[in-house]
Amino acid sequence: MILPKFEFHEPATIGEACELMAHYRGKARPLAGGTDLLVNMKKKILSPERLVSLGRIPELSRLERSNGTLWIGAGVTVSAIAASETVDRDVPALGQGARALGTPLIRNLATIGGNIGSARPAADLPPALIAYDAVLVLQSAAGERRLPIADFFKGPGQTAAREAELIAAVAIRVPVGHAGAGYLNLGVRKAQDCNIVNAASFLELDERAEIIRAVRVALGSVGPTPLRSPSAEAVLIGQKPTEALFDLAADAARRDCSPILDFRGSAEYRRDMVGVLTRRTLSMALAEARSRN
Amino acid sequence: MKHLIRLTVNDRDYEVAVEPNTSLVDLLRTQLGLTGAKKGCDLGDCGACTVLLDGRAVNSCLVLAVQAAGRTVQTIEGLETAHGLHPLQQAFIEKGAIQCGFCSSGMILSAKELLEKTPHPGEPEIRRAISGNLCRCTGYQKIIEAIKDAAR
Repeated sequence: MILPKFEFHEPATIGEACELMAHYRGKARPLAGGTDLLVNMKKKILSPERLVSLGRIPELSRLERSNGTLWIGAGVTVSAIAASETVDRDVPALGQGARALGTPLIRNLATIGGNIGSARPAADLPPALIAYDAVLVLQSAAGERRLPIADFFKGPGQTAAREAELIAAVAIRVPVGHAGAGYLNLGVRKAQDCNIVNAASFLELDERAEIIRAVRVALGSVGPTPLRSPSAEAVLIGQKPTEALFDLAADAARRDCSPILDFRGSAEYRRDMVGVLTRRTLSMALAEARSRN
Repeated sequence: MKHLIRLTVNDRDYEVAVEPNTSLVDLLRTQLGLTGAKKGCDLGDCGACTVLLDGRAVNSCLVLAVQAAGRTVQTIEGLETAHGLHPLQQAFIEKGAIQCGFCSSGMILSAKELLEKTPHPGEPEIRRAISGNLCRCTGYQKIIEAIKDAAR
C-alpha cells in the first residue's frame, strides 16, 4: 500500500514542534508512534500535507515521579509503560492497560500521547487514565494549558485539543492511603484486537478502610468516547464496599453506556459485559486499596 | 523532497536518499535488496515485516524510512555469523517450525527480542512475545517448541 505523499519535519524540541504546527495550521499532523496515523494514511482515510514527527524530542520520552505526581511524556512508548516498575507500583491499572494494547510490535512503537490523541473509543489507556483522574499537559505556540483527561474526548477521533496544539505530557497524582484501581478488557482475541468492552475502576477508602471516600468508574468501547459512569459512582460513594454493592454499581454502569452492535458483539452483550467488567475492576480496586496504607 | 539519511543495517552503514512516504520495509526490500522482512498486510497486523529497530521488534511497515535515520536495524539477514546460523534459526529448522516461511523471519526476530530480555521464558511469555506475528500455516506449536529449544 502506498502512503500518500507528504513533507516530513522532525523537530528536536516541543517548542519547535509547536511552531511548525502553528506555521502550517491545519495542513500538518503530529506523528507519534504511527501505528494509527500511518495505517489511516495507507487506507487513504487521511492525507495530510505535512507530518511533524515527535519521535526525536527527548523531553517527550521522560517518565518520572516528582512531588507525588507521575509525569509521563507523550512520547513514552506503551512498552515502556508496560515494563515500568514505577507504573506498576504507583498506578498499576495503567500498566494493565498498556500490556493489553495491540501486540508487542505495536507496543514498541505506539505512544501514550498517540493513544490519547487518536481518541479511539476502544483505546486501552484512556479508561485507566480517567479512573486515575489524569491531567493532560497541552502545548501550543500560544502557551501551555492543563485539562482533565475526561474532558478531552469529544467523539471518535475528536478531541478538545485546539488547532496546532500538542499533547506534551500526562500527569497523574499518585494515589495515597487506602486507594486502588483495576483495568480489564474483553476482546475476541487476546492480542491484536479491538476491544468489545474495556473498563477501569478507582476506589479510595477512608482511614479505617471501611467506607468508599472517592470513586471513579470509566468505560471504553461502549459510546462515542471513553466515558465515566456517574450512576455507578453515585451507588458507591459513601458506602461500605461489599459484593452486593458492587452488583448494584454494575447494574448502574450498564445503564450509563450506549454500545453499538457489530460483528464483535451485540449491543446487549456489550451492555452485559459492562456490568461484568465493572464488578470485576471494582473488586481489583478494592483488593489493592485494602492492601495499601 | 528526498531526505538523505544514514542508518546501520546488520552492522553495515548505508547512506540513502528516501522519499518521506517510503516505509522502512520498502527501503529494506527495494533499495537495499534485503527481502528477508516480508510484506504481508502492510498495516501492522501480521508481523511478517518485523525487524529490530535499536533492538526492539517493530512492524517495519509502520516506520518511515526517514524515522530510521541514525538508528540501528537488524533484519533476519543479520543473524547468521561466521560461526553459523543463530541458535533460533537452527532451532526453527530442527523443530520443523518453518513451513511456508513467510512468518519465520518475523517470528525469529520477535523471539530474539524476548530471549535478550528474558533468557529462559515460560510458554505464556513465548506466546505473548509472538502474539503480533501471524502464521497462516498455523504452525504455532512447532514455533513455540523451537523458541523453547533455543532458550535452553
